[in-house]
Amino acid sequence: MRRTYFGLFALLVVAFSIFAGMSFFSEDFEEECGLKTSSFASDLFSHSFADLTSSDTIPGLLRSKSTSGVTEAAPLDTTKKNILFIGDSMLERLSPRFAAYAEENGHQMNTVIWYGSTTEVWANSKRAAEKIKTYHPDFVIISLGGNELFIKDIITRRSKFVKEILSEFGKIPYVWIGPPNWKEDTGINKMLQSIIPEGNFYLSYTPDQHYDRSSDGAHPTAASAAKWADRICRWIMNQSNHPIVLNVPKKEKARCHTECFGMSDDGDKPAPKAAKTPAAPAQKKAAAPAAAPQPAAPAAQPEVAPTNTEN
Amino acid sequence: MLLTDNLSFAIHNIASFFMPNPSVPLVFSSGTFWMMFLVFLPIFACIRHRKMQMMLFVVAFSLFFAFKSCGWIFLLMVATSIIDWQLALRISKLEGKSARKWMLVVSLLCSVGILVAFKYTNFFLQSWHEMLGGNFQPLSIIAPIGISFYTFRTISYVVDVYKEKMPPVEHYLDYLFYLSFFPCLVAGPVVRARDFMPQLERDSAVTKAEIYGGFWLVLRGVVKKAIVADYLAQYSAIIFGSPETLQGYSGFELLMAALGFTVQLYADFSGYSDMAIGLGSIMGFDLGVNFDHPFRSLNITEFWRRWHISLSFWLRDYVYIPLGGNRKGKVRQYINLFLTMLIGGFWHGAGVTYVIWGAIHGIALVVHKMCMPWLKKIPDNWPVKVISGLVTFLTVMLAFVFFRAESFSEATTILSGIFTNFDLAYLPPFVSVRYVWCIMLVLLLVAHFVPVRIYDGLKEWFVESHWLFKLSIFIIVVQLVLQFASSDVSPFIYAQY
Repeated sequence: MRRTYFGLFALLVVAFSIFAGMSFFSEDFEEECGLKTSSFASDLFSHSFADLTSSDTIPGLLRSKSTSGVTEAAPLDTTKKNILFIGDSMLERLSPRFAAYAEENGHQMNTVIWYGSTTEVWANSKRAAEKIKTYHPDFVIISLGGNELFIKDIITRRSKFVKEILSEFGKIPYVWIGPPNWKEDTGINKMLQSIIPEGNFYLSYTPDQHYDRSSDGAHPTAASAAKWADRICRWIMNQSNHPIVLNVPKKEKARCHTECFGMSDDGDKPAPKAAKTPAAPAQKKAAAPAAAPQPAAPAAQPEVAPTNTEN
Repeated sequence: MLLTDNLSFAIHNIASFFMPNPSVPLVFSSGTFWMMFLVFLPIFACIRHRKMQMMLFVVAFSLFFAFKSCGWIFLLMVATSIIDWQLALRISKLEGKSARKWMLVVSLLCSVGILVAFKYTNFFLQSWHEMLGGNFQPLSIIAPIGISFYTFRTISYVVDVYKEKMPPVEHYLDYLFYLSFFPCLVAGPVVRARDFMPQLERDSAVTKAEIYGGFWLVLRGVVKKAIVADYLAQYSAIIFGSPETLQGYSGFELLMAALGFTVQLYADFSGYSDMAIGLGSIMGFDLGVNFDHPFRSLNITEFWRRWHISLSFWLRDYVYIPLGGNRKGKVRQYINLFLTMLIGGFWHGAGVTYVIWGAIHGIALVVHKMCMPWLKKIPDNWPVKVISGLVTFLTVMLAFVFFRAESFSEATTILSGIFTNFDLAYLPPFVSVRYVWCIMLVLLLVAHFVPVRIYDGLKEWFVESHWLFKLSIFIIVVQLVLQFASSDVSPFIYAQY
């Protein structure tokens, strides 16, 4: 009996050694042989993001911080802006309120909603760069990450995509709105905080922020989303790295030019629907095949864990 | 400097390994579990024949498994196990019928009460707030891992002692060993104490066939769960849970989602059961069979004899029969059947979709029972078998749409889309875009109908094969898991119930 057990043990040890060894050369294996490796090495040597605090530093990963530790207030930019608002389905309810702010303060705004999108699909499709080329914005607001709340090993898998998206903004001032979690994430907010400079990232998941959810349990209700937008605009105007004028509008919501992409859109498809309205239910059919049958492409699958893990 | 940084990170990460992490489920197909098992196995091998040491070690490992999965709340399981063990002992010693009954009621109230408190508090609070018209933010409740499944085992044990189907377990450690046994902890199988406890007295050594046969089962389970189910899940996740985009999909795509989820759930749950049963076998414990090719069923009654066998038999013995079973006339039997399935549905979750799922199965079982006299007259030939199998499968698939949908309207939108917007023209582009998904689906369905004797032969062949061959198979399976793994956390579906 013991011999058989030790035979099995030896088998597991050999296999473990192989996979653990391979994990130290993951990039080589992936690039040269297309072989994915286990996350053993990264799990062992990477800093646990769950434990990251703002004072932690990881060479080459964390943003630089002012030496005094105090963020100095940047001067208010009073010029009229051409704002590009991009991101996932959270924009559906954020955009009308932001449009009201833009209208009130003389800014122009274009919205691009990509349902079910993630940092990965935005980075791979280069859609941000494409839209910047189309709309020539001088201020970008991005709300992305809600579909990546439960990604395992997020630092190794997603940081490069966030960096890619940021690089597409070039020198255009931007604000990244973090996802308004409805439960604890596996590190997306910490990762975004660590890559994006402090005044460019709005953390939506803090103890003092509470947003009522719509029937899907994930997206804030319209009223809650408006409160969320109010908080973000206040923060942009007073605390961000590039404050612009965003006084509270008289109107509750407004319309702006909006483009919608379905979650099956992989970025290589023909032009999507565009409308001079905030996202309306009819626009949500962006994934619908028009003339010819076009099933959902695998490249843009949403990455929300399919099931709740709580007992 | 870099070396010391890496060393400190490594020490920090190894230390954090011992901390609980309820947000990342500890599934048998995960690397974390296998690293734990790698430490567990040689120690277990050395002390397997020394009962007391072995039991202490396995209990400690199982409790650490529970702690890592849910945190300190696992102590609740320990506390309730003491209560139920004591109550069962007292039940067996008491003479008076009513006193015994009261003890049983106390035990059942304790077990079911805790289960209800953890599973349905949010549901009751939400209903209450809805009645008052207020907003409600669900409470963040972390339940002990596998609370449903160990509650089932506790109930079956106490009821069996009460009905004198088995003697009480004299030593608490034996009982805790049974209740916390890690292969069954997360999601069963719901092994009965009367089947499990005698195995603790085993003197004979664990055979090679059990160890490597168990390892074969684990590998089969890993393939089903971590490769097939997790891959198929990617498409289901797009369709289900996204009500805003449902209108954009054709009936064919929606049908594929329903079909995909049906196969995914089977692969997920039966794969997990295979892993649990395989681990049990490696340790020398027979945990029975939990899935027996359910899609081969020719009627819904047969389906429930093949699907989640340990739970359906548990429902039969501890819900259906106590309700009266078939002893009180036909009408009462139908009501009991329907109620049992309804309770089964409600157990899965306090939502209307789960209740409808249970109701569909309840109605299907009743209809099948009612039609039995007529069905017996139909000739038992191949065309009839094919039609029966298809009708059964479609009924199961239809019910699973409600099971998976996050709301009643989502389920009805999917079903109406299938029936009103179906066009086979979507087949070629669907296959061309999702060919791997289609291959996995077809392969699993084909494998489902391969004769059992071929699987038995393969298992025997694997057991007797050379060590290097086994190693190669293991490496191939693990590499396949890595290749197909999505970046999501893919928990085992039934871990939530």
